[in-house]
Amino acid sequence: MPAVVVGPGVASGASPVVSVRQVGFGYDGRPVLKRVSFDVGAGDFVGVVGPNGSGKSTLIDLIDGILQPQQGEVLIAGRATREYRRRDLAREVALVPQSFALDFDLSVREVVEMGAYCRARSGEVRGDAEWTLARLGIAELIERRFTELSGGERQLVVLAQALMQRAGLLLLDEPASALDVSHQLRLFDLLRDLNADGLTVICILHDLNLALHYFSKLLVLSDGELAAFGPPEEVLTPETVEAVYGVRAYMHRHAGRTYLTYSPRLRGERKGRIHVVCGGGTGAGLMRELVDAGWEVSAGVLNALDTDEEAGRELGLRMVVEAPFSPVGDETHTENVALMRTADLVILTDVPVSLGNARNVEAVCTAAREGVRVWAAEGVLAADLAGATGALVESGVELHADTAAMLAALTARDGSQRPA
Amino acid sequence: MIRLGRTSVWPGIVLTAGVFVVCLLMSLAFGPASLPLARIWHLVTAGPVAGDLDSAIFWQIRLPRALLACLVGAELAVAGVIMQDLFLNPLTDPYVTGVSSGAALGATLGIVLHVAQFPWMTVLALAGGFATLGIVWMAARRRGRVNIFILLLAGVTVSYLASAVVTFLMIKAGDDMHAIVYWLMGSFSGRGWTEVELALLAVPLMLIPLFRTREMDILLQGEKRALELGVEVERTKRLLLVTAGVLTAIAVSVSGIIGFVGLVVPHIVRLLVGPGHRGLLPVSLLFGAAMLNVADLMSRTLLMPNEIPVGVVTTFVGAPLFVYLLRRGKA
Repeated sequence: MPAVVVGPGVASGASPVVSVRQVGFGYDGRPVLKRVSFDVGAGDFVGVVGPNGSGKSTLIDLIDGILQPQQGEVLIAGRATREYRRRDLAREVALVPQSFALDFDLSVREVVEMGAYCRARSGEVRGDAEWTLARLGIAELIERRFTELSGGERQLVVLAQALMQRAGLLLLDEPASALDVSHQLRLFDLLRDLNADGLTVICILHDLNLALHYFSKLLVLSDGELAAFGPPEEVLTPETVEAVYGVRAYMHRHAGRTYLTYSPRLRGERKGRIHVVCGGGTGAGLMRELVDAGWEVSAGVLNALDTDEEAGRELGLRMVVEAPFSPVGDETHTENVALMRTADLVILTDVPVSLGNARNVEAVCTAAREGVRVWAAEGVLAADLAGATGALVESGVELHADTAAMLAALTARDGSQRPA
Repeated sequence: MIRLGRTSVWPGIVLTAGVFVVCLLMSLAFGPASLPLARIWHLVTAGPVAGDLDSAIFWQIRLPRALLACLVGAELAVAGVIMQDLFLNPLTDPYVTGVSSGAALGATLGIVLHVAQFPWMTVLALAGGFATLGIVWMAARRRGRVNIFILLLAGVTVSYLASAVVTFLMIKAGDDMHAIVYWLMGSFSGRGWTEVELALLAVPLMLIPLFRTREMDILLQGEKRALELGVEVERTKRLLLVTAGVLTAIAVSVSGIIGFVGLVVPHIVRLLVGPGHRGLLPVSLLFGAAMLNVADLMSRTLLMPNEIPVGVVTTFVGAPLFVYLLRRGKA
């Protein structure tokens, strides 16, 4: 996939803190990173995302000089990592590792002060550990033993250890993966504050929504290649997520923020098309389930701004839409019947039927009479204020208890078909 | 459990130094001929006096033997700390690299070849120890790095090999078998100033890890984390492993294989002063010296006039103490 680099990677004027140039790396001949190039400028707040095995941790180790690139080079402050002594590099780059094993009974103070190894003799850092822990809001932990801490506290102590290096660049390898929601948010809030104080941050994470909300730039790795690098909302589109992760992604806006949700299946694996006749929220859940189960879904006729219409729009469905609060018109009715004729199945939910949408029931009956398979939820008979549903059964519509029963029937049919 | 000196290491060091001095004095005072403290003071200030029996006992037998026990105890304890913390494995002791078995093979060759006079047997033991260290080292080297786990495996393998050869030689040795077995069990019996001088060579080596305490602390988090924090891991590992190997070879070549000291002393001291090396190393050094002094005192006084091999004593005393401390540490 071609790299989509959005916007300049470097703050204008300043030389980049990290410059990754045409870097390739592999283990035993199996390539892990292929010709990756990007710059990170001073003060950048970069999230690194990508599927498992896409080379994220390897990239972090290359930037920290733990690994040396097999092709290309990694420059830190303009100098190749291989030209640094470890101690000098540790003054430029600090890393918070993914896992941190320490079976020995050291105090938090001892663990944190180890971080100052690269820049000072012991004894010259008196007070620094207190200051750093206070900065992270965990000053009270200083005399505790490290092995007694909770997972969240440990992660913050390891962050404190890394901050003791006083490096300008902080790398984090999935720091939040073992943390509960409140500790995750606390950690990312802290990272944002540290970044606001001038620290350049590059952080691997898996949660794409956290990535969208916190970081000023995202770097997407896919199969060892740079898939995209730039502002989160430009980089993390449903298309990119689908291409990189192989799942279907949907964007939602809620209270001014963008959220991603996912379904396990890829587009293009369709089993057939189901046309859903619904409204007022009676079909939203069903449509979502059908899409997740791999069906192509269409719907109609729906009024614009109806709950089901909004759900269908987020799911990217093909829909016949009428103006808000208007009865079904001739044009939309014809289009609806046409969609039903080519569908493999038509489902009528227990939508309340009134004069406004009675023509939808009429369309369903027409389709059934023409031989299209039609299922209806029994509830629709009771919710009929227009007397339109009387013709359903005689037209050949199959009645089911509710949408859940229909989904179950579909799954069962699906299962019985699979071995064939 | 309450630790000695959490923030400062000095209380622990001073206290252990005090214990060490008491142990040393006890070991100088007691024996088949008791020497009161005032008499010891007089003997020390007067220097060796020809024709005086007490002076001969003190200067030619008891002092060198006590000093040798101190040195060997300190060497094994320091080597034990290095090994356990580099291997990140609490079950390792200075003997896992096979150095002791190599030294035993050298000494056995010396006994079988009837060159059992000092310095030849000691030289052969030392050579055996160094040769083993070299072989194990080369086996563990890959692309300029020493793989610590291969080192462990190679050490165990070479150790078994050397032991097999020793056993074979014992069968062939006939009358010398007794001497070999006695050497293998470890003892300070009949050792004199020449052995002390050899063991003194190791004193500067014992100081090396004291200058690397921060690196050793950081290495407790694993080699990768140490690299991330700026430690030159390979260089540090090389220095420490060679130091531990040479310390062990020297200790074994002058005293035979004295078990348990290198394993148990670091554990006991860790429970007392914690795993930070600024306290752990000096306290282990003093504690090892004190422990082996007391063990040697017991080995030569408990069944007077017979001697129990000192390795048996260290195990008998150390094992229950160790179990007690482990249980207390958990509570």
